[in-house]
Amino acid sequence: MVQSSVMKQSLVFDQLSCRLQVEGLPDVSIGQSGAALGIITGWSLQWVGRPLLEGRREHLQALMQVVLPYARHLISGVRRDFSVAGEPVDIGPHHEGGHRLLLRSSQPDTPPLEMHLDDAELADLVRVLDLLRLDPRVQLPLEIPEPEPLGPRELLERIPLHRRLTAPLGGAAALAVSAALVLLLPPPAVPPAPTPPAPAPQAAPEAPRP
Amino acid sequence: MAKDTSEAASPDRPSRPLPRRGLERLDLMLLCMEALDLNGGEAMVWMSEQLGYGALFPNRVELWKRRCHNPLRRTCRRGEVPVDETDALIRILCVMADRLYPMLRSLLSSSEPEAVASERWALFQGRLGELVQERMNPRRSGVQKLLDPTDGAAQRLQLVQGLSLCAGHGGFERIKASLMDAVA
Repeated sequence: MVQSSVMKQSLVFDQLSCRLQVEGLPDVSIGQSGAALGIITGWSLQWVGRPLLEGRREHLQALMQVVLPYARHLISGVRRDFSVAGEPVDIGPHHEGGHRLLLRSSQPDTPPLEMHLDDAELADLVRVLDLLRLDPRVQLPLEIPEPEPLGPRELLERIPLHRRLTAPLGGAAALAVSAALVLLLPPPAVPPAPTPPAPAPQAAPEAPRP
Repeated sequence: MAKDTSEAASPDRPSRPLPRRGLERLDLMLLCMEALDLNGGEAMVWMSEQLGYGALFPNRVELWKRRCHNPLRRTCRRGEVPVDETDALIRILCVMADRLYPMLRSLLSSSEPEAVASERWALFQGRLGELVQERMNPRRSGVQKLLDPTDGAAQRLQLVQGLSLCAGHGGFERIKASLMDAVA
């Protein structure tokens, strides 16, 4: 859906639980015109039953930089926190299940906003962000990391730490207990060494004659 | 029309065939689509024609033969599947997931009443179980785990969640990267 007033463009992407609205202008300095959107002047993300989120282009890009890689890792079963240093958005698994989206405001004295999303709401968010980045009218570079296959080390993260450590720690404990038991065993009785035969009495040396 | 990010955006990225583990997950995800849509098998063939893959999969047997590279299948085929064929299967999966997104979403939503959600999951589990028993080798531990009502729940949830996150054009690269994961 497009709403436009003279040069101003407004793109709206809807899903069941959220609506992303992006406003901007064509960048006429590089020859854009018409329905193109080359400069983002603002955006808003509206959730059902939640506060309205608004921000500038940097905030939108920060949101995409953490949410899309997080979704890519979830497909592989890896649930871990994602954040970009210095950026105002974090996302990660919520301890009660679902996902935790943390947004830090650039306004002073404004506490960070934490949102608890379920799997369906996260999927809706990913879809609106996909719709935005793949929309041909959006003609500005959005720096989003390309999805890459995960290595064995990253895949290990999907197994909880306690389960990963159970086997090696169990093995080490079994080895330690076995070693302790072996040390507690009494040493085998050493058979008495055969006594050497007593030497024959030697004759007393004769006294030297005067 | 959406921008195509699969080939145009990353022309220099080396394309290699999917590993066996990736083929296994791809086939299981397609099986989940069939469990969600009673006419999923037919829809897959129709979708293949609509997307212009008629030359790659001229009939349902050819489509089935590619899916039989899943090592969990009863009749498993050896060898690699060419990249263009796996890409076509992934794209069919993404478009089908997009089409069935409302169903995937309703399975994942926590705002649904508990009884309704349980009933939906039970229905999905039952259909998926039937398909798995029909087509997969029951002696494989992976199949036994997937069929287990409790042990397989996490895997079924992950499959559905993966499908919801790969739905649509934007999901192609995400799911492809995931299917190319190394073996842990």
